[in-house]
Order: sequence, then C-alpha cells, then structure tokens
Amino acid sequence: MRFSRWLSRRIPAAYKVTLSHKSIFILPTGFGFSWLLLIVLLFIFGTNYQNNLVMGLSFLLVSVFNTCIIYSYRNLAGLTLSSTVSQSNTFAGQPCYIPILLSSVNNAFEIKLNFHGHGSEVVKKVTDDTSVSNLCVDRTQRGTLTPGRIKVESRFPLGLCRVWSHVDLDITQVIYPKPIKNQHQLSCHPQSSNNSSELGKFVAGVDEFKGLKQYVRGEPLKQIAWKQWAQGRGMLTKEFQQPQGAPLWLMLESDSRDLELNLSYLSWQAQQLSQKQQIFGLSIGTTIIEPALGEQHRVNVQTHLALYKCQDQANPNE
Amino acid sequence: MSKHKLKKNHSTSEFSLSRHTLMWLLITNVAIITPLYQQITLWSLAICIICIIWRLGIYVGKVARPPRWLVTSLGIASAITLTMVVNQIGALIALINLLILGYALKYIEMRNRRDVHIVVLVGYFLIALTFIQQQALWSTLHLMLVTLINTCVLVSLYNDEDRFQFTAKLASKIILQSFPLAILLFLVIPRLPPLWMVPTQGGAKTGLSNTVSFANITELTRSAELAFRATFTDGHLPENRDLYWRAIVMEDYDGQQWSQSRSILASERSASLSQSSAQNLRLVDFKAGLASIKQPSLSYSIIAEPSSQQWLFGLDVATSVDRGIVMLADHRLYARQAIEQQKMYKLVSYPAQKMEPVLPAAIHAINLVLPKDSNPKTIALADQFKQKYPQDQERLDAMMRYFTEQPYYYTLRPPAVGREQIDDFLLNNKAGFCVHYASAFAFMARATGIPARIVSGYQGGEYNAAAGYYSIYQYMAHAWVEVWLPNKGWTRYDPTTMIAPDRIEQGFDAFFDPSESYLLDSPFGYLGHRTGELFNQLRLKFAGIDYLWSVWVLGFDSDKQQDVLQDMLGEVTQTRLALLILISLTVIGLAIAYSAGLFKLSRAKDKHVHAYLSVCHLLAKRALPRLPHEGPEHYNQRVALSFPTIALSFDKLTRYYVAIQYQPLSKAALKRISRLLINQSRWLRINIIKQRLALNKTNT
Repeated sequence: MRFSRWLSRRIPAAYKVTLSHKSIFILPTGFGFSWLLLIVLLFIFGTNYQNNLVMGLSFLLVSVFNTCIIYSYRNLAGLTLSSTVSQSNTFAGQPCYIPILLSSVNNAFEIKLNFHGHGSEVVKKVTDDTSVSNLCVDRTQRGTLTPGRIKVESRFPLGLCRVWSHVDLDITQVIYPKPIKNQHQLSCHPQSSNNSSELGKFVAGVDEFKGLKQYVRGEPLKQIAWKQWAQGRGMLTKEFQQPQGAPLWLMLESDSRDLELNLSYLSWQAQQLSQKQQIFGLSIGTTIIEPALGEQHRVNVQTHLALYKCQDQANPNE
Repeated sequence: MSKHKLKKNHSTSEFSLSRHTLMWLLITNVAIITPLYQQITLWSLAICIICIIWRLGIYVGKVARPPRWLVTSLGIASAITLTMVVNQIGALIALINLLILGYALKYIEMRNRRDVHIVVLVGYFLIALTFIQQQALWSTLHLMLVTLINTCVLVSLYNDEDRFQFTAKLASKIILQSFPLAILLFLVIPRLPPLWMVPTQGGAKTGLSNTVSFANITELTRSAELAFRATFTDGHLPENRDLYWRAIVMEDYDGQQWSQSRSILASERSASLSQSSAQNLRLVDFKAGLASIKQPSLSYSIIAEPSSQQWLFGLDVATSVDRGIVMLADHRLYARQAIEQQKMYKLVSYPAQKMEPVLPAAIHAINLVLPKDSNPKTIALADQFKQKYPQDQERLDAMMRYFTEQPYYYTLRPPAVGREQIDDFLLNNKAGFCVHYASAFAFMARATGIPARIVSGYQGGEYNAAAGYYSIYQYMAHAWVEVWLPNKGWTRYDPTTMIAPDRIEQGFDAFFDPSESYLLDSPFGYLGHRTGELFNQLRLKFAGIDYLWSVWVLGFDSDKQQDVLQDMLGEVTQTRLALLILISLTVIGLAIAYSAGLFKLSRAKDKHVHAYLSVCHLLAKRALPRLPHEGPEHYNQRVALSFPTIALSFDKLTRYYVAIQYQPLSKAALKRISRLLINQSRWLRINIIKQRLALNKTNT
C-alpha cells in the first residue's frame, strides 16, 4: 500500500487536523467533465454560427468552472476535525458511532464524512462553533477498533469538483464482546452460594459510605454532611450501605474451548449485575479485578473482556 | 437503533431532491423556455405546458410522478414526429424543439441529482440556442439572468440552506466573479472560421424583395425597423444625397413588376453554392485594377441586421475582402449565406469608378426589352422626347425635367392603376412614389433606345453624432434607375428627386407627411419621438449603446481582436500573450479567492480575543502566566492578588471579555463593549509596559 504510506507521511495521524492545501485533493466530478464537454460543444456551436454570444457563454461556463475550483477548495480549507473521548458502549456486532468534532474558519457546506467502507454522514453546514458529528462504523468485532482514516468530501458549490481529504484522527475504540443471555451459574468466590441473584447486593446500612443526597426534613442530624454545608454546598445527607452476602465473581478459565461465546456470556452478566447494582469481580486468565460497583467498574470489566486474547483488529481497508 | 434509522434517511435524502431545488427547477424551466417562444412549434409548446403543470402538481403534492415508460414513449414519439417534419420547419428549429421536448420530459421524470445535472446542462444549451436568435443588448441581459437562474438550481442542489436568498446570492456571486475571466477569454481566444456548414433558421424574410412593383415598397416605408448601420472609417462623411445603398438590380419588366434577370439570378445562385474561389479571383483582379488606377476611395463598415436574405448593401462600386461575400458582375455584394444574425463587413467603395464601361451585347439587349404592346401613350411620349433630343444625355435630362415641369406629386397612397400602369401613372394620376417614377423613367429610357434598369436599395441615413455612425431604416427603402451610356457606363438617375428635392437634401423625415407615412401602423413610431428633443436625445443615446454593443461584442471578429490586443500589448507576440494570460489568471484567481474568504484570517471575530490575550501575554512576562484551562475569572483573581495597581482595570477588561465571549448581546451593545474592551486593553498594555520600565530603572 504505497498510497497509504504516502498519505500517512503527507497527512500524519493527529487527534486534531485542520485541512489545508497539503491535505486537500481536488478533481472534477463526472458532472464536471460533462460540463467541460458542454463548453466544447458550445464553442464549436458558436464558431460555426459565428456567434460571439454563444462563445461568450462558453467562456463564462469555463470561468464558472474555475471559480468553483476555488470555492470547492475554500469549502474544505480551514475545516478542523478532532476526535473526542467517546463514552459509548459498543458491543460487537453493533454499529459503532464515533463522535467527531467539526469547526471551520470559513463556513463549510455539505461536508460528507465517512470511514473507509462505512456509511457516510452529511453535515449541512459547519461554522466556527464546534459541532459534533457521529460517524458510523458498520461492522464491529470484539477488541480495539481502529477505524482508520476518515474521508472528508464535498462537492459544494455546483458539484463540478470533488474535493476530499483522508484524515487520520488516531481514533481507537474498545468494542465489548457481544452480550449473549445465559443462565450460567455465577460462582461466588471462594465458595458458591445458592441464590446468586441476591448475592453482591447492598442494603441500606451503616458500614460503607455510599454517597451524598439532598437533605430531606426529618432525617437525623448526625447524618448531615456538615463539612459540605460549611463549604456552602447546601444541606446534604450522608448515605450509608452495607453489602448483603459475599461478592460475585465472573470467571473464565484460560483453557475454555469456546472463548468468544464465553466472553459474550460474561459480557451479558456484567451488564446484568451492574444494572441490578450487585457487587462483582472479574477473574479472567491471569487478570483479577477486585469486586466493586459502579459505572467505572463496569467499563473496566468490559474493557478487560474486550481486550482478552485479542489481536488488534486493523481496518481491513488499510 | 433510532440513530441507525436517521442514518438511512440521510443517505436517501442525498439522492432525492429537496423542495428548494424543485422550486428553482420550476422557475428555471419557465425562464429558459419562454425566450424561445418564436421557435417552439405549437404541439411542443403544449407538451411543455403539460409538463410544467404536472411538475407543479408534483411540487404541490397532488399528483404522482409519471411512470417511466410513459415518458420514454412520449419522448420517442415526439422525436419521430420531429424527424418527419424536419423538412418543413428546418433543421435548426427541429433541433431546438427536440431539445425543448427532451428538456420538458426529463424535467417531469426527474428523480435524483444526476437528472438535475442533465436538465441544467440542456438548459445552458437552450440558452445558447436562444442567443442564435436574439442578440440585442437587452435580450442578452435577460438571458444572463436566465443563466443565473439555471445556476441557482445547481447551487440549491449542493447546499441545504433552504433560503431563496442564500441560493440566489451565492449563484450571483459565482457568476459575477466569473465574469472577468470570461471577458479575458473573450479577448484572447482566437476566433476561428466556421468548421462546417450549419443549418440556418429559415426565418421570415424582411427588408427588400427581389421584385419591385407599384405595391410592394410601401410596406417597407411604413417600417421603422433598422436595416443596417454604417460607419465611415476615413473620417470623411459623405453627404446624404450621395448615400445610394445598392442592393438589388432588376432588368426584367413584364408590364406589372420589375424582377431580376435570369443571368443575375444564376450568378447569385452560383455564388451561394460555390465555395470555390472563382468569384474571389475575379474580385482580386478587379481590386488590383482599381488600386493601380488610384481612384478616390471610401472605406466603411456595415453591420447588417438579420434579414434572412443574402443581399448586402454598398455604395457605387463597392468591394469587400470578406470571405463570406461575393462580388457579382453587376457590382453588388452578395453573402454566401443568408444573413440570420447581425453581420459586420468592411467595404471600400470607388465612387468615381465607371460601372461596366463596356457592356456585353447580350446584357445591352436585355436592358432594352419592353413588354409587347404595353403602355402605348408612354411610348408615344418617349418618341416625342427622342425627336426633340436626339442625344442620349440631353434626352435623359429632359425626361428628368419633365417630372418637375409637370404637376407630379409624391404619395405613399397612389391612386389605383389599370393594366397599362405606366400610362395611367404618367399621364393620368401623376401621383406615386419612387417605384412609379423609376419605372416610368426606365420605361421611357428603354423606349428611346437607352439601356436602363431599376436598382432598389436604401437612400440616405440618420447620423448619430455621438457614436459616429449612420442608421439606415427600412423606411429608407428606395428605388432608382441606372442607365447605360457609352463611355460612362451605368449612371444613376433618380427621378424621384425631381418631384421633391427636399427628400434627398434633408433625408426622409423632413419629407414625410406624418399622416401619410408608416406612422399609420405604429402610433409610437419613430417620428413621434422626433418631436420631443429630450426623447430624441435619449433615443440616440440608446441607439449609440446598441451600436457599441454590435461593434464590440457581436461584431468582435479576429480583426478587432488583433486591434485590441495590439492596443493592450503593443506588439502581439506569443510570449506577451502568454504573459498577459498568466498575470490576469493569477490576479483573477487571487481576487476570487480573496472575495470567497480564503485569506480571511477571521480577524474581525478574533480581535477581542487578541485584545485580551495580548494583555495576558504581557502579564506572563511579569511571571504571572495564565494557566492552561484557567478561566478568565479565576485568572482575574490571581492578577488582582499579584498586581493590585492594575487590579481594577484588569477586572474591567475581564468583564468586557467575558461579556463578549459568553453573553448574548445586541448588536449595539456588542459594538459598545467591543470598543471598551479594545480601549481597556490598550490602556492596560501601556501601563504594564510603563511599570516594567520603571521597575527596570529602579533595579539598575
């Protein structure tokens, strides 16, 4: 792939790219060529009839073509694309939406964006206020997704020229295993329990600090967060909770035969447990994640599931 | 999943057409077809109207798109019909109608961008076809507007600002910015001769006719239409009475009308058929002969209006080196092709040159023929002249005088004549117009043995002093006589001048009695304007503009091109031409890029940021840099702690800056605060630098 090597030298990967003459390509479209053909026709027509106005019209159309080249270039020049941290939960098999931030010094119109080989998104107008456009990657597999270069294209203003660029925003996205519903027995480490759905759950209690909530009249004064009150953050109450039973463990034997399927099961269970606010840990291969709770934990677990024994999947087009 | 659906909608909307585009298509369709109304046959017009109404129905949402098979079969049917009638209506009209039909049919079955592309391109071609028919300045401006509308369709296709104004503005901007380069190309691209013969439109023939009778010139004298314009290039302006523009020579008289003789018709036919240079060779010989004699000559150029005829106009013995013009044996100029659009040609006339001093016997005989047993009274009168004046010259003079001595008067509404028309006119009615007098004079001359013929053309011209040219209108059509005298050749006699010498001395208008002239046909005709001096001034001004348009745009040929380039470059060499093109291209390109906003460094927007940051930059040098991601408010607090002397000013600056950056402001408020911010920034910078200087001094 000499072209992609040349491209990566010319437009190196960066999280933020502003398009300029170095990175913009321009060629006439099919319609542009028909336009040129019409000009030739009109010129011959005008010559044969010795009609200066027809020739004038053909010159005007030549000139409009020329003007459009400048306008097309201007439309992409100064367009800034940048990647941003994505919070999306994407499971394998789902399309993955990657947010791209767009802004332009000049107003840019009709910008078509897409990852190579994936569906395109048309942004009607880009101004100097940053806007977000979600680009789709249609097919995803478990692991890290590097969708590669974004093709930025525009045919503004008359469709005579196609201006485009290939931008690498250095995007990587973790794709979680596809969750598959299952009734596998979850093990309660070290010893198993018989009622797994109740395990790892919390009930309101006194042992562990859970968080702060708005003070409701009548609540005991000793639970009021006085420190926060002193900081002027208002009346808040401290909440406490205590675990009910032992935490659950999601486990995967390193020698399991159907790895992908098992990962999918674990992925589904991780989702379920988080939803039900149950405490759980992960033991996968040599990695052990201590039981915990919350969004951060879930993401951590899913990421480990996603990256387990996984070759970096490169964009097939690159 | 909802996102996914949205996605799909996007990808389909990319190929289906927005209402905005459809609206522009409706406008452009009407705008393009209307100027072609003269060329559209009735049934193609009907199909066009049906298509437009159908499309309107689609636009409003009342009807569905027609099925494709219907459109296709309609298209094929109309193409076949057109090929069947192509002989009747002419190839050019057939082409125009075919394109219009294709345009209209494509228009209703349009589904996606590609279809619109085709419609727009055909639209441009139809505009070009309109230019073949209409070339006046005003119709050109009108067609430029149509071009603009056609371009709007494309603009609307590639932006989704659903605002009429935005599209119109952008399209006008693109077109206007494209004009300089188009003009440059118009100047420098060489004009080629026609590459092959093209079908011309067999338009209605206007102007002179190749027969002259007691009826037909009157129609012309009622028309205020322009026939042609002439510019004398030597600076010498001939007198009105010398302006006899010869166009047609008629030698056959059948008792009712004068017509061209068979030999002249044959020579005209061979001239339009032959592309060979046989005729030209004779012309070259002739020219060489003239040059050697060193005759007084008159150089001028003529812009002939489209007439669908091939006769051209010239004074006396006129020569032209134009390749499209043939000089006939009777010293007339004849175009190889019918004049379907304004034609400009250059001429040199030799007024003193004798016309055919040696007359071939056959032609001598033709010019003496009279119809058998016709007009006996006139022949008797001619015999009297012959007995009284045996000398040719004297006899002709006497005949001319006869019209003065007898009570003849000029009228455009002569009394009816019988079968012996010249007898009736000459001896009974004694009233008529130029054809009557010329016929009678030629008849009498022939009857006395002097070869005579009728020449028709135009007499006189209206001089436009501002632009320096003569306008010759249709009502200046005239007929006169040429008689052949030994040693003198063909000599012009205009018996009409004997009745009303004013007519020749002062031009036509002084002669015309308005109630008797063409004003009967056009209530706001040309003479009506004459009465008001202001109107006349305006009319001449507009006529002058139109003349310049004809000369510099319509008549811009390779000669003119050479002249203009010579004026611009001094000497036209390849390198200079290339340099001119290169420099102009660069300048034009940069100008367009600049006006498109390519070099805009968005300073106007960022001047506030600049004003604020420049103060921060100075403070950073005083060891208090603004931290990355530190908000202006927070930085303000730190500045207040470190530099209490400027704390108040910096607080103001911060407040202005925050207001401009983050608060919605009215235009007036923005302007006011913007000024305050910039002043504050300037004041602060000066003070910070002052402080630093003071500090440096104390340190040293």
